[in-house]
Amino acid sequence: MGKTLFEKIWDAHVVVEKENSPSLIYIDRHLVHEVTSPQAFDGLRMNNRKVRRPDLTIATMDHNVPTNNRGLPILDQTSSVQIQTLEKNCKDFGIKLFDINSPNQGIVHVIGPQLGITLPGTTIVCGDSHTSTHGAFGALAFGIGTSEVEHVLASQTLWLEKPTPFEIKVEGKRKNPHAVTAKDIILSIIKNIGTSGGNGTVIEYRGEGISDLSMEQRMTICNMSIEAGARAGLIAPDEKTFEYLRGRQYTPKNYEFLVDYWRENLKTDSGAKFEKNYTLHIDDIAPQVSWGTNPGMTIDVTESVPSPEDFAKGDQNQKKGAEKALEYMNLKSGTPMTEIKIDRVFIGSCTNARLEDLIEASKVVKGRKVSPNVKAMIVPGSQMVKKQAEELGLDKIFIDANFEWRESGCSMCLGMNPDILSPGERCASTSNRNFEGRQGTGGRTHLVSPVMAAAAAIFGHFVDVREMDLN
Amino acid sequence: MKGNVIKYARDNIDTDVIIPGQYLKVHDYAELAKHAMEGLDPDFHSKVKEGDFILSGRNFGCGSSREHAPIALAHSGIKAVLALSFARIFYRNAVDGAFLLPIEIDQDAYSDIAEGDQIDIDLKSNQINNLTKNKTYKMKPFSDIIGKIIEAGGLFKYKPD
Repeated sequence: MGKTLFEKIWDAHVVVEKENSPSLIYIDRHLVHEVTSPQAFDGLRMNNRKVRRPDLTIATMDHNVPTNNRGLPILDQTSSVQIQTLEKNCKDFGIKLFDINSPNQGIVHVIGPQLGITLPGTTIVCGDSHTSTHGAFGALAFGIGTSEVEHVLASQTLWLEKPTPFEIKVEGKRKNPHAVTAKDIILSIIKNIGTSGGNGTVIEYRGEGISDLSMEQRMTICNMSIEAGARAGLIAPDEKTFEYLRGRQYTPKNYEFLVDYWRENLKTDSGAKFEKNYTLHIDDIAPQVSWGTNPGMTIDVTESVPSPEDFAKGDQNQKKGAEKALEYMNLKSGTPMTEIKIDRVFIGSCTNARLEDLIEASKVVKGRKVSPNVKAMIVPGSQMVKKQAEELGLDKIFIDANFEWRESGCSMCLGMNPDILSPGERCASTSNRNFEGRQGTGGRTHLVSPVMAAAAAIFGHFVDVREMDLN
Repeated sequence: MKGNVIKYARDNIDTDVIIPGQYLKVHDYAELAKHAMEGLDPDFHSKVKEGDFILSGRNFGCGSSREHAPIALAHSGIKAVLALSFARIFYRNAVDGAFLLPIEIDQDAYSDIAEGDQIDIDLKSNQINNLTKNKTYKMKPFSDIIGKIIEAGGLFKYKPD
């Protein structure tokens, strides 16, 4: 019987495997940031341990960093301490760090691929749930907690339970790929399989609807695998993958040799068995907007806010959840999504802050102005994205339209730095989580694609971007 | 393991409500505990007692990989979370650091056990005894793999057979 891509990568990394026991898996790349690492380094010191492979460990600061003027001191003392702690830990343990002033600084899941650190067939971990992003390159990549971060630092391995393979086929062609984006595909999937639909699995995304996507769009898909509860998302590498990574700063010297090997080996065999299957047809899907407080609470922009009964389909807990969500979001069932007015727009995060995202959003914004009732900001995913966007003149398009153009970081995706919503504010956000309080206490988040967010900024409410000229 | 139940009768309790992002900079666990569940239940800190359990629905702990979530609950006194199902990273974090026990329960236990009930969890027989209602429910046994890590006392103490 054939093997799935996931099983091939897993098997290639097994150090110890015994039935009914955890498997010891070798880790090829460990990405580190300032929030989930301090206690792990403390643990190493307490036990007199070293970092086993500092050469495979790469750090940056992204969660806490301010996105305004980098020349100014960091006002939030606790953020400042966390950033300085990472600097000290990287120095003490000999780890490469892209600090706040580095041209390579950025959100860890944006810089990994950009620098050629993310490679097909590798295992990648990071103390961050959106590590699933790197699966777009055919890497087995997943988020871990701080105890596991310490374990990887100390041993370059992890004791794991083997997940099961889940096939999600994306079939068909989008009629308007500028208006209906990768974000709308993944939100549609989560809306259908639910926020725990992928629990205990590694999702492999397959089909024409996936191979049609660019690498940056594939990252958006794999990024949100965790929002469906999956351990990781995977896409088999193809010529687009190999081309994307060719010649980057940390791409290995024997790259073409590796490509030949990957091309031959990194795919699911015909006849391989998946434990679970789901198919999404994308010919007719619409731009998506979340209305509730988890990413599964999402509908087409052309629809109205559902009633708890309609949403729950007979499930009492779902009904209760929807009632709570409507109350928190201050929405009434039956309100057309396009009538919902917004206060803030955030284009950023590891889901949607790459160059293509900004190019697509700029097409909506060019020659227009942000609605006077809206405060809108663009936070590029990395300093490199920012520089590339500025070379294309995108900063000027956004600034002329009254968007704020910021420095890179996680920013308003999770409200750890000063970029937060005020209580009651409603935000169209290109991030990944609409949980209560995620973007600031009492803040209300609607998840959308970059073009949908840009259009909401211009009009002050959600609009169906299929009605706009985006070419 | 005996204690009283604090019940959140809903699914998808996420790590952002268990411990909001702004507190991920707090390294003092007692201080972190003061903000546990703050996003959902501002009274949690005043009502939780040492040895209490949380009971909730499906997909408990979904979202971020922050280990601060089980730590904040554990340092509030919570010894176990009983839920219909768990998000995997929370589940592993709870076990890896031996912070608290994530126990999967069935619909019967979920519907029947009420806020304030005193329960006794018997890990040897995988039974939950409701001392208030004088009833017994089954809990889902830990898998062999997870059971071994729990028995060892966490990830760093685990050694293969």
